[in-house]
Amino acid sequence: MKNLFLSLLFFCVLMLSPASYAQQSENHVKIRLLAEHASVKGGEEIWIGTEQMIDPHWHTYWKNPGDSGTATQIKWDMPDDFLISDIQWPTPQKIQYGPLLNYGYEQQVILLQKLTLPKDLPRGKITLTADVEVLVCKEECIPEYGTYTLILNGENAANEENSAYLEAARQLLPIHNDWPLFFDVDEQNFSLKITIPAHLRSHIQLDSVKYFPADWGTLANAEKPTATMNGEQLILTQMRGQRPIEKLESLTGVLQFAANTSDSQSESTYNINIKATPSWMESPAGAVISEVMQVMEYPEQGELNFFKALILAILGGMILNLMPCVFPVLSIKALSLVKIAAKSPKLAKAHGLSYTAGVIASFVLIAAILITLRAGGAQLGWGFQLQNPIIITLLGYLLFVIGLNLMGFFEFSSRFNNVGGGLAQKDGLTGSFFTGVLATLVAAPCTAPLMAGAIGFALIQSPFIALVIFSALGLGLALPYLALSFMPNLQARMPKPGAWMSVFKQILAFPMFIAALWMFWILAQQVDVTSASAALLGAILITIALWLLKFSNLKSSKKFILRILAITLIVISTAFIPLTFPSKPSLHDKYMVIKGFGDTFSQSALDKALEGDDPIFTEMTAAWCITCKVNHKIAINIDSTKALFAEHNVRYLIGDWTNEDPEITKYLQKHGRNGVPLYVFYGSRDDVTKQRPAPKLLPQVLTPTIIKKIVEDKP
Amino acid sequence: MNKIFAYLMAVFVLAFAAMPVHAAVEIGQPAPEISAKDTNGNDFKLSDHKGKIVVLEWTNHHCPFVIKHYSTKNMQNVQAKAKEQGVEWVTIVSSAAGKQGNVTAEEANTIVTEQGATISAKILDESGEIGKLYDAKTTPHMFVIDTEGNVAYAGAIDDKSSPNPATIEGADNYVLNAIASLQAGETVKTTQTQPYGCAVKY
Repeated sequence: MKNLFLSLLFFCVLMLSPASYAQQSENHVKIRLLAEHASVKGGEEIWIGTEQMIDPHWHTYWKNPGDSGTATQIKWDMPDDFLISDIQWPTPQKIQYGPLLNYGYEQQVILLQKLTLPKDLPRGKITLTADVEVLVCKEECIPEYGTYTLILNGENAANEENSAYLEAARQLLPIHNDWPLFFDVDEQNFSLKITIPAHLRSHIQLDSVKYFPADWGTLANAEKPTATMNGEQLILTQMRGQRPIEKLESLTGVLQFAANTSDSQSESTYNINIKATPSWMESPAGAVISEVMQVMEYPEQGELNFFKALILAILGGMILNLMPCVFPVLSIKALSLVKIAAKSPKLAKAHGLSYTAGVIASFVLIAAILITLRAGGAQLGWGFQLQNPIIITLLGYLLFVIGLNLMGFFEFSSRFNNVGGGLAQKDGLTGSFFTGVLATLVAAPCTAPLMAGAIGFALIQSPFIALVIFSALGLGLALPYLALSFMPNLQARMPKPGAWMSVFKQILAFPMFIAALWMFWILAQQVDVTSASAALLGAILITIALWLLKFSNLKSSKKFILRILAITLIVISTAFIPLTFPSKPSLHDKYMVIKGFGDTFSQSALDKALEGDDPIFTEMTAAWCITCKVNHKIAINIDSTKALFAEHNVRYLIGDWTNEDPEITKYLQKHGRNGVPLYVFYGSRDDVTKQRPAPKLLPQVLTPTIIKKIVEDKP
Repeated sequence: MNKIFAYLMAVFVLAFAAMPVHAAVEIGQPAPEISAKDTNGNDFKLSDHKGKIVVLEWTNHHCPFVIKHYSTKNMQNVQAKAKEQGVEWVTIVSSAAGKQGNVTAEEANTIVTEQGATISAKILDESGEIGKLYDAKTTPHMFVIDTEGNVAYAGAIDDKSSPNPATIEGADNYVLNAIASLQAGETVKTTQTQPYGCAVKY
């Protein structure tokens, strides 16, 4: 669909372009050389297109012509200090002839090359010539030769403007990406295994998958490919060619497939440049990094050293205390600490220490799991726990139960204080330890400012250093409470315990309920409304169970029955959890509907946008990331920012990391991050140098002014 | 559901994989037998020529790539050099009836005479049977068969995949290289290349 649109655009622009064909009419291919724009400056890089208009039913060839034929050759005659790139070939089509199959083009094709002009460009008209040799075939083949000229800075240079036309041609080039790729061969077959990003997996139309090998003899070209999805891998199998490809270290080519997009009404064709390594080789697939991306190095990433990361981790951890989910749990604990300290300052210190131990232990545990999973190849980052609907459901229940407790709906009796939040209420030292665990658990959805940099740094270091940094993060989180437990001065400043505390507790119940609601909302995002409703029903069942347990003044036999009933209800509520397994791999699209502003992020979408001239703003977010939501609400999805983006033609791409998505994880990593939010701004291409400035990372807490400043600051 | 489908597909693929691969030429393996009448009405049987190096050349006299090699006398020179070394040279036309390059035996012989080609035999393969047996794809498409009857080289005639006669000069001729290596008792360095040229007109 998109391709059709591009082709249409292509032809529309063609109709408008004024140049005439200075060609003998008997040729089957009419050739023109076109410059993006003919008025050029020294040091500039421009696209040059060799346009072929091919007679109906005739075809010319791709770089690998397939079973017969030969690729078009362009030999430029230009001074040594003019640099011309290799030909960028658009994705070809399969052209069948009897038992043979060719890769080539029909009707029209533009072969693109990038021309780099010397710094000191000679004054006046510049004439460049190219010898073009085209083999054009229908059934018979005819070689056509010609010498063509391209004039830059000529008399009419200012009027010669083909940038829209060549831009349209560029859209037809296969895109680069770094999906992991392997190939395999056996006696009969060649197969290609590609790890497909989550958001595309279930949308690929398997009968549309094609592979155009750039290396000859790898495939029996005329044979039909079969494509299957195996988990996250797309496997394309086609009869192998005669060449002994076992010896090859890598293969290149173009993978093409159609996929339904967002509303599953429209369909896009993806053409992807690939470089595959043999599956029998140890090293992972060689990623083809696009030209554009290579230009962009990120100095920020390397600058963070261990010490700085440590400081950031501690500060970030401290700020976490203020996050809405952590604050209620902690303030209650802090108030009770005062009570303890009044009796025994020593015991208060012990509580502070065991709380700290609880926090650090859980951070280290989470970090250890994360590191292990990552070592196993999973693309995960901070907050990965929340990408699992089961954990989301359990957290929702937990927050809800804490809310009920704060509300005074029930008290944790000593009999049940071994369960969940009950542990945190326990007055003993283990209670403090588990308050630490609980604080970490409820803190998980929040990424505080400064934290992301530290975690990003940690995960690219050795496991030991990573664990140290995670511990520092935990220490940061524990620090305020620890300080309070050790400093009588601070304790003195705390309000005196009294009757107001029960009211305060009740007030704090509301943020807990809201936090629980938030979990269920995430669930609806991750899975669907049914599963969120199931979880809500589960919450009601738990309430009933707790209510039943309140009848403690009954006879023991009746109490026993009530307990059994309560336990049954709790079991039933957990039975809803399996319902929350995601049935769809991605919900980007759903999220997009809610949001209704910006485009869905993918590396390929970004690459495409980067090839253009306009500035780009990327936002990596997740439904469970409250900081992200707030930023989006107050700084991005507001009229003034929308107007700002429109005014500056800012392309706005949103990546939704609510569910695990390796592509987004990689993108975060590239920017030295391991969690959301992440905001990156790519400035527009400079008019003169045609270069983009280095991309800028925005702070994790956004205001409209920050965005305005960064967008308006022209390099 | 997707998984079941994937398994089913896998079974399918395996089932097909178990079938014999379509006839093809493998380097170092015996060349498929050719048994046909040549343009002079003589019987030609490839296996009769064991003990000699045999070159197979797929041709189509209207194909610009073939024309490139004959108009510049390049092909004739290579044939002559091969003949000096006792190599049997067989040209094969696999153009189907009514297709480009399809000729009668008489026309074929006239073409040989006009070209001044020094070949041992020319075979008309109108049905495409021999062509498909060898998986001949282009004109020219070259095969060199060693004295044991095994395929020693398959692919292009040289490294200049252009129809432009100007590219003959300085081209590295894979067929001559293979013959030289075989004669010297050395292993052939380049055993397989991508053939270039017009499609065989099956």
